[in-house]
Amino acid sequence: MAVYKRKYTPYTGPLTPEWSRFFVLTRYALADLFKSRFFVLLLILSLVPCLFFAGYIFIANNKTLQLLLPTGPADMFSVEARFFTIVMIVQTQAAFLLNCWVGPVLIAGDLTNGALPLFLSRPFGRADYVLGKLAVLGLLLSAVTCVPCLLLFTLQAGLAKDGWIWSHLWMVVPIVLCSAIWILMLSLISLAVSAWVKLRIVATGVIFIAFFVPSGLGEMFNAIMGTIWGRLLNFSYLFHIILASGFREQSRLLGSMGWNEIPVPAAWGMLIFVCLLSLVILNARLRARETVRG
Amino acid sequence: MMNPTIELNGLEVQLGGRTILHGLTGVLKSRAIGLLGPNGAGKSTLINTLLGFHSPSKGSARILGLNSHTNGKALRSLVGYMPENDAFISKMSGVRFVRYMAEISGLPPDQAMERAHEAFVYVGLGEARYRPVGTYSLGMKQLAKLAQAIAHGPKVLILDEPTNGMDPPARKRLIELIREIREANDICLLLSSHLLRDVEETCDEVLILRNGQIASICNLVEERRANRKFLELETVGAEATFTATLEGLGCECAVFTNGRIKVVMPDNVEIREVFKVAADRGVQIRRMNHRRDSLEDIFLNAMEQTGAADGRI
Repeated sequence: MAVYKRKYTPYTGPLTPEWSRFFVLTRYALADLFKSRFFVLLLILSLVPCLFFAGYIFIANNKTLQLLLPTGPADMFSVEARFFTIVMIVQTQAAFLLNCWVGPVLIAGDLTNGALPLFLSRPFGRADYVLGKLAVLGLLLSAVTCVPCLLLFTLQAGLAKDGWIWSHLWMVVPIVLCSAIWILMLSLISLAVSAWVKLRIVATGVIFIAFFVPSGLGEMFNAIMGTIWGRLLNFSYLFHIILASGFREQSRLLGSMGWNEIPVPAAWGMLIFVCLLSLVILNARLRARETVRG
Repeated sequence: MMNPTIELNGLEVQLGGRTILHGLTGVLKSRAIGLLGPNGAGKSTLINTLLGFHSPSKGSARILGLNSHTNGKALRSLVGYMPENDAFISKMSGVRFVRYMAEISGLPPDQAMERAHEAFVYVGLGEARYRPVGTYSLGMKQLAKLAQAIAHGPKVLILDEPTNGMDPPARKRLIELIREIREANDICLLLSSHLLRDVEETCDEVLILRNGQIASICNLVEERRANRKFLELETVGAEATFTATLEGLGCECAVFTNGRIKVVMPDNVEIREVFKVAADRGVQIRRMNHRRDSLEDIFLNAMEQTGAADGRI
């Protein structure tokens, strides 16, 4: 019906499957994000380190180029587990910065002017809503963590000879798993913050506080109580433990830093606990109607 | 047999440790239902419960036969909801906002876009559809909320205080729109308002709440029909023969002083026959009134009644 016909008519056309409707939120949020030049710049900057890593892989697999370089021994160019651990550390830090910019506005924008009841008065639950918002961060953060890391892995596999891929295929698992837990934790924390704090700058500050203040408190706890368990509050440290364990690098990477005290299962447990806690906080806030007790 | 529009069966809702709705029981069958009550009567809580936002602590509420608690998603797929408070995404343009909501209701993107434009033009915001919703006036925001409620073509339209903050011409236009939507389509309407006139102009049946209990359920169509059959006359002349002749036609008459007569007419007697009898008997009719028991009278009576303590009529 043409728009000039000013008459209300019921809709009788086809409907999209219910399971796919959460992705409408993701699509609209991504479209809004890509309108921001700053965001696009931040995304590009997040991927710049990958170019250097790709260059490194190219040199590592090109003996002629290595001979031309005024460098030390040729074996300094090695692409093994340690290399991918470093790639993951760099890219997850970039993901953290990206998350600090994107996360705070995702839910706050809907809550500021009471739009949530409009979503929830449709055949669309709170789980769909969270899933839709989570998918925004999931896609973006994957694009700067596991996707470039897997591409670098593929590049190395393509350039290396002698069945390098088969002897290193196990590394795909830590790349995917470690990225997944980091992305999930970052996303849920920033969504929980976004649900409670409306101003972007304040919400960004709160995310930084959520990451850095607990680690400081944990170190104070360690100093006072003479224990190591305060490090459970240092999420970056816990992630590094998981990462090093996944790449079978804990003794080399973290041992030298005196950082290998917390058991890996405890690190996993703590990060999963943080995810669940963020979900509880989100659940408390994402209500169509608030109930005042009294 | 068609399901009633709204069916309440001992509905009790507790929020924050307080009972807000006390065992509401009633069946509303009309296509346009008004929800009335003073502040704190439980109107919004009832709407939120019907939408599945609150769970009943006892009893159940159904819309078109679907339980609000156990069939929430199916029920909400039939509903278009215009909330009382501000509800919009301020940075989105009006048409994009409505398209977004339509897509969440399940319309494919191209259909949602078309319907969003139609809905915006229909509510009279065609010129403002590309402006961010945050820049709209209060009345325009109300219309934008109506547009998002109708864009996906719901079967039940729930409007919570739709004319809040609107000036008289805008209010009139909105009431006309609501009447058009109601009359032109197979759509059920639930309208909550403090303004009795809004309800009177758009609804066929009213549910009046007081202190979380049902004070009255009144079918306005039947009430209007009954009112048409009740006449108050002021006459000069032969009253006795006049009333006797009317009673002979099946009317019930009560004669008061100064020629005042109240007449209840059966369905088969028209007013012109009263004039004919008066002319035949040489009686002058100086004044004739239909009884007009307005919604305000019904509302005030319901508020004064004390017999609704158990939440039943």
